[in-house]
Amino acid sequence: MGTTVTHAPAMEGLAKDSEPRHGPVNSPRPAALKRRGRRETLAGYLFMSPWIAGFLLLTAGPMIASLYFAFTDYNLFDTPKWIGLDNFSEMFGDPRWRHSVKVTMWYVVVGTPLKLLLALGVALLLAQKRRGQAFYRAAFYAPSLIGASVSVAIVWKAIFADDAIVDRTQKVFGIDVGGWTGDPEMIIYSLVALTVWQFGAPMVIFLAGLKQVPRELYEAAEVDGAGPMRRFWNITLPMISPVLFFNVLLETIHSFQIFSSAYIVGGGAGSNACGPADGSMVYTCYLYVQGFENSRMGLASAMAWMLLVAVALVTAVLFWSQKRWVHYEEGAR
Amino acid sequence: MGTSRNVERRTILKAAGATAATLGLAATTGCGGDGGTSSDGTVTIRYAWWGAEDRAQRINKTIALFEKKYPKIKVKTDFQPYPDFWKKFNTQASGGNPPDVFQNAIGFLRKYDAKNVLLDLSEQVKAGNLSMDGFRAGLEKFGEVDGKLLGVPVGSNSMSLVIDKPVYTRAGVKPEQGWTWDDFDAAMKKIRDKTGRAGDSGMYGVMYLYDLYLRQNGKAFFTEDGLGFTEADLTDWWTKAKKGVQDGVYADPKKVAQIKPKSAVTAELAGGEFTWDNFSVRYSAEGKSEYSLAPIPTTDGKKTGQYLGSLMLSASKRTQHPKEVAQFIDFMVHDPEVAKIMGYDRGVPATQAQFDAFKPTDEVNKSIAAYETSLVDAGVLEPITPHPNGADICEAAFLRIAEELALGTRSVDDAVKQFFTESKTALVG
Repeated sequence: MGTTVTHAPAMEGLAKDSEPRHGPVNSPRPAALKRRGRRETLAGYLFMSPWIAGFLLLTAGPMIASLYFAFTDYNLFDTPKWIGLDNFSEMFGDPRWRHSVKVTMWYVVVGTPLKLLLALGVALLLAQKRRGQAFYRAAFYAPSLIGASVSVAIVWKAIFADDAIVDRTQKVFGIDVGGWTGDPEMIIYSLVALTVWQFGAPMVIFLAGLKQVPRELYEAAEVDGAGPMRRFWNITLPMISPVLFFNVLLETIHSFQIFSSAYIVGGGAGSNACGPADGSMVYTCYLYVQGFENSRMGLASAMAWMLLVAVALVTAVLFWSQKRWVHYEEGAR
Repeated sequence: MGTSRNVERRTILKAAGATAATLGLAATTGCGGDGGTSSDGTVTIRYAWWGAEDRAQRINKTIALFEKKYPKIKVKTDFQPYPDFWKKFNTQASGGNPPDVFQNAIGFLRKYDAKNVLLDLSEQVKAGNLSMDGFRAGLEKFGEVDGKLLGVPVGSNSMSLVIDKPVYTRAGVKPEQGWTWDDFDAAMKKIRDKTGRAGDSGMYGVMYLYDLYLRQNGKAFFTEDGLGFTEADLTDWWTKAKKGVQDGVYADPKKVAQIKPKSAVTAELAGGEFTWDNFSVRYSAEGKSEYSLAPIPTTDGKKTGQYLGSLMLSASKRTQHPKEVAQFIDFMVHDPEVAKIMGYDRGVPATQAQFDAFKPTDEVNKSIAAYETSLVDAGVLEPITPHPNGADICEAAFLRIAEELALGTRSVDDAVKQFFTESKTALVG
């Protein structure tokens, strides 16, 4: 096979070695090569076509449509009416919208750092070799697999309700709040707890990063008399900073998109509210209420685009900031 | 090698072609299913309603009866809980694919008429496929909007005060027809003091109860195209509410929020709740105590402001089988066997024939029948006006903002202002 390597090595695997070959073995003529190139390109696109069709029909198309709807008054039934920037000015003037932004910000700003800190802490513990390591990793990772499901959200609601396990445990310590899910201020923290509980996914990524740190750096530092804290701050943290950056980015974007847990723990359905006194009315929940319960698809589209812009801005700031704290190894960039 | 690749490409193309063909076929059969007429003349209609499993079982039995009588009509069913039902319906209707026939209520007639979704059934009445004779208490008029017949009532219900009977007895409170709001307030305090339970679950957020209160004072919650009361009216209503929550005569809103969708009465947080009389059927299944119906308090000792509400069946304008849909509705509202199966699940049957066919034997259903009979006899019932387009959003906002007020995240003035702002937006749209 090695002698017949052409410009498309990936396709080589498809040809069986035992087949009789036509033409010279070492290299086909340029014209045939060109033709084959075109064929391969075609085959390539054919293989991709389900994905491309899906992208165009299910992602790109609706996105362009929603961009148009964002500037219209559209109730799903009547033809959209162009109203320019009215949706956006209504949004900014709406106290409920501002409330949903505030709730979401709380969730992102409190939940993401806590989750990452816990993930890093546990990853540091699990990075050391010890018995039962694989079991612990699997155990800590498991919540990430099931955490986003509806059933877990229902269980969560039950755990944090009045006179349930969390409430009773608190009462033992003399702190009686009467259930988190009924309190407009507390309910968002039950959601924060839900996301922090799913620290397994970033933990696994941290573990991979920790494995990459060369051992000789630690050995050299130890010889120089650096303590564990010093080694962590001056070796581990800089060495895993690209992984940390990746996790911060991923988790932040992910947190902005919280929906199902807030909707279910907040008992969303019904009176177009989410949680007691809109306590868990996160951004996407309000978007859903406006779009599907109040039939205001134009306004909901505008809200969706506003969220996209906000997430893009946050991402841009994070990318800009990485120059100051993310260290890439020489040549790895 | 070249040949082998060609063969592969052809295989791929064939496979792709086959896939496309299958998809195409699937699409065609899909359309065939939706159109609902098969080669032997059998017609399929889609029927959707809101409710729970027990209602579904009853309805499926009635459909079996219908299909026996009309072997050429098949009925495909679909149901969700109330809030989900309307989201799904809204999406289907806007996509041009609503069910042929569906459960409806007074708050949605104008809304979906404005969106051109509802079929005017009067054509079918003229054609003799649907009879509007034999309805009780003027119910045949309930689905009429601007001269169009947009819904046919299947049952009637009325706002009532559902009470936990032993709690009321222990407190020594005995509500009677014509009792006043002052009597009611005193009763709430008595229940709180004697039983340690709040008297009421949170009446200040129930739009239909506030409607009754307004009617007692010559107003109403909705006019034909807007709100029928002022900010000052609502400020009074909610000022009283706030004090009631603070004093513990209304249930702790935090606890009420957490037991949803269970009722605060069956969760033993409150001694009573203002709601539809047929809900007592559900409460009896949900709770451990004994529940019964009490009269609505009055302002002048006479007028309760009550009217009969009703669940209806409506047809969609897009249906390709208006005749079959009309025959279906006709069967469901007139056939005595249907009444025996349904009981009072959707309220007291709308037609006299069905009313006579089902004689309740258990206490709960008996008390519902007695309650509605007493209302008719007392002559307190008023006519009902179909709610304006956007009324459902106002109702949801009313409930939500009242809860925010009770939880203390809004002051009375703030709550009133917010409600009027949101209603204005909803009623314009």
